[in-house]
Amino acid sequence: MTDLTEVSQLLNKVSEDPVLRTALDRAIASYWNKRKQVMERYSYIKELADEVRRIKEWSIDHMEELLGRAIEAVEAKGGRAYVAETAEEARKIIGKLVGTGKVVTKAKSMTTEELKLREFLIERGNEVYETDLGEFLVQFLGPKPMHFISPSIHLTREKVAEFLKDFMGVEVDKDDVEGMVALVRKFLRDKYFSADVGISGANAFAADEGAVFLIENESNIRLSISLPPKYIAVVGMEKVVPTMSDAWKVVEVISRYGGYKVTSYINTVMGPARRGRGDIGPEEYHVIFLDNGRREASKDPILKQTLYCLRCGACQYLCPVFGVVGGYWAGLESAYSGGIGVMWEYVTGDKETATQHAFVCLLCGRCIEACPMRINQPEVLREIRRRLMEKI
Amino acid sequence: MDLKAVKSLLEENATRTWNPLGVRESYCSKWAEGLNLPKKGDTLLYTGCLYQMIPYIQTFSGLLKRLEGLGPFISNLALTMGRLLNSLGVNITSIMGIVTSRGERERYFSILRRIANALKTAGVDFAYMKEEPYNGVLYHDLGMDELFREHVVRLAKKIRETGAKKVITVDPHTTYMLNYLIKEFVDDFDVEVVHYMDVLLERGYTPKVRGPKEVVIHDPCYLARWNGVIDQPRALLTKAGVRVREPEFSRKFTGCCGGPIESLFPSLSSKLARKRMEELKASGSPCFTVMCPICLTNFQREARELGVRVFDIMEVIE
Repeated sequence: MTDLTEVSQLLNKVSEDPVLRTALDRAIASYWNKRKQVMERYSYIKELADEVRRIKEWSIDHMEELLGRAIEAVEAKGGRAYVAETAEEARKIIGKLVGTGKVVTKAKSMTTEELKLREFLIERGNEVYETDLGEFLVQFLGPKPMHFISPSIHLTREKVAEFLKDFMGVEVDKDDVEGMVALVRKFLRDKYFSADVGISGANAFAADEGAVFLIENESNIRLSISLPPKYIAVVGMEKVVPTMSDAWKVVEVISRYGGYKVTSYINTVMGPARRGRGDIGPEEYHVIFLDNGRREASKDPILKQTLYCLRCGACQYLCPVFGVVGGYWAGLESAYSGGIGVMWEYVTGDKETATQHAFVCLLCGRCIEACPMRINQPEVLREIRRRLMEKI
Repeated sequence: MDLKAVKSLLEENATRTWNPLGVRESYCSKWAEGLNLPKKGDTLLYTGCLYQMIPYIQTFSGLLKRLEGLGPFISNLALTMGRLLNSLGVNITSIMGIVTSRGERERYFSILRRIANALKTAGVDFAYMKEEPYNGVLYHDLGMDELFREHVVRLAKKIRETGAKKVITVDPHTTYMLNYLIKEFVDDFDVEVVHYMDVLLERGYTPKVRGPKEVVIHDPCYLARWNGVIDQPRALLTKAGVRVREPEFSRKFTGCCGGPIESLFPSLSSKLARKRMEELKASGSPCFTVMCPICLTNFQREARELGVRVFDIMEVIE
């Protein structure tokens, strides 16, 4: 537990990987340029981010109350709501809803990664497809999603071309990114139509209307959650905000700080398709609210900052350590990455691993500047260190 | 690296010398020799000892990096051996002191002397501490709050004993510690804390160039982000006629030198230093200026291989 050798060996090794370095350098340079443009073009965004911070603070302090309202709203519209206290409980509920021998299409979702849901469903005899291009690559190339919004940040287009050539059995041009995207799209197109269940996470959840908010750029989420007859949303309890209006604000801040002028698609779902009305969409709407450490963290004066995280990935792009080791920081077992990943792992996963990785932080604070919520990661990570150091 | 071994080593060094590396307080105040500074006064120049510790940090982390390469068994054994020798009364630090060159040690004293002389020239009267304590920040960084508390309670007392109502600081970490951290641990610390660059500018001090005429500026994280000292070094350099080149990541978005993790992750730390130095180098000059002893030492180590030179701001101007 107190021996940091493994952490150090892992991070040293990957920091010497030239492919990882090239991939990270490209992604970070591109993000920084986009961010500067976004900040200039949407000058009000910092103010909006401050407002969202206040919404999140209120929401985390009223988590239980909001959860109650959210459940009521979901059920009033004919959906089914569940509260899962642990990852295992969540898997059990979802496992039952999906069954076996089914085809499942998935939207990219960190919360389902936290549950290791894809692996679980495959193990139970289902066919599961990640439909986000980056996450699709991670499903087959591993080792884990390396960034909140850019899960395949560790892969270069050269690597991807190599993989697609083998996987699809066709010639692939490494400089034709659009062509590669089209190949994966074509492969997934059939899956949407044959899928029995669509699963997504949530970028925000409005308690007043029981509505899931999902942002995306590839239209894959739309297809994966609309075409299959059954839709399951996995919502971390920290995602619930009071109103639709609040959720829109959250969504705008996420996309801007994620480096997008606008995301191509914004989806909201607030109930199953109504029979006999000719509605297109799933007839079953299931919402799983996930606790898995969140309730406890919401009562911890320092750790609760973790729950303000919108998972926009800005801090990861701009963290100096992340720039050298990418998502390996927080460990391969964790769904999460970087300093914020260590915090999420500490809240939802293995506290021992998270504690070891907490010592990697420089406490330099560039993440605070990057973060729309101005989460003080150095403060939280130092506190995690303190909790160990006082015991040993 | 094993945290238990690190913790014990730091605690034992602190017990012996109040310094994480076992550097003596009488050594830390050597910069003031010959300056005829009083030991009491309204204003105190407190260095926090980081500049003085640079040669020891370099020797120590060079050693750690080599040990890290030899594997966990060896590096943990070495930490334990270090403690053993300590407990036998063998002062590892003085052995390390022999390894570090006199010229190196003199360099960091002279940076402090230049700060003191600039303040004097600007008309500031100040005292110093004959036995100058370390700032305690490493203990806080590592989450060793009890040791940090003990350390800063004593420090606050020592500062009070000089009669100072105002403390002038020279590095970002000590500045931040005295402005913010100490207040969480010491109830009645009401001394005014001000960075020396602010004092110089307030006094209308006009420096002269003494190093390169053009430099890339590297904002130390704790100076720019945590203390908001951003325009001050630029103002001083510009006043002296030095051309300042801005890297892509500067001011509040400055990039870290990697220094803070060099004791636990020496190899990773040096990769971070190199990455940042490549950014700086791409800004058009092989001469960098920094305003933090940690940045200085972490960059210094990689400087030769990258073909660049690293200066403290007080080596660029005077």
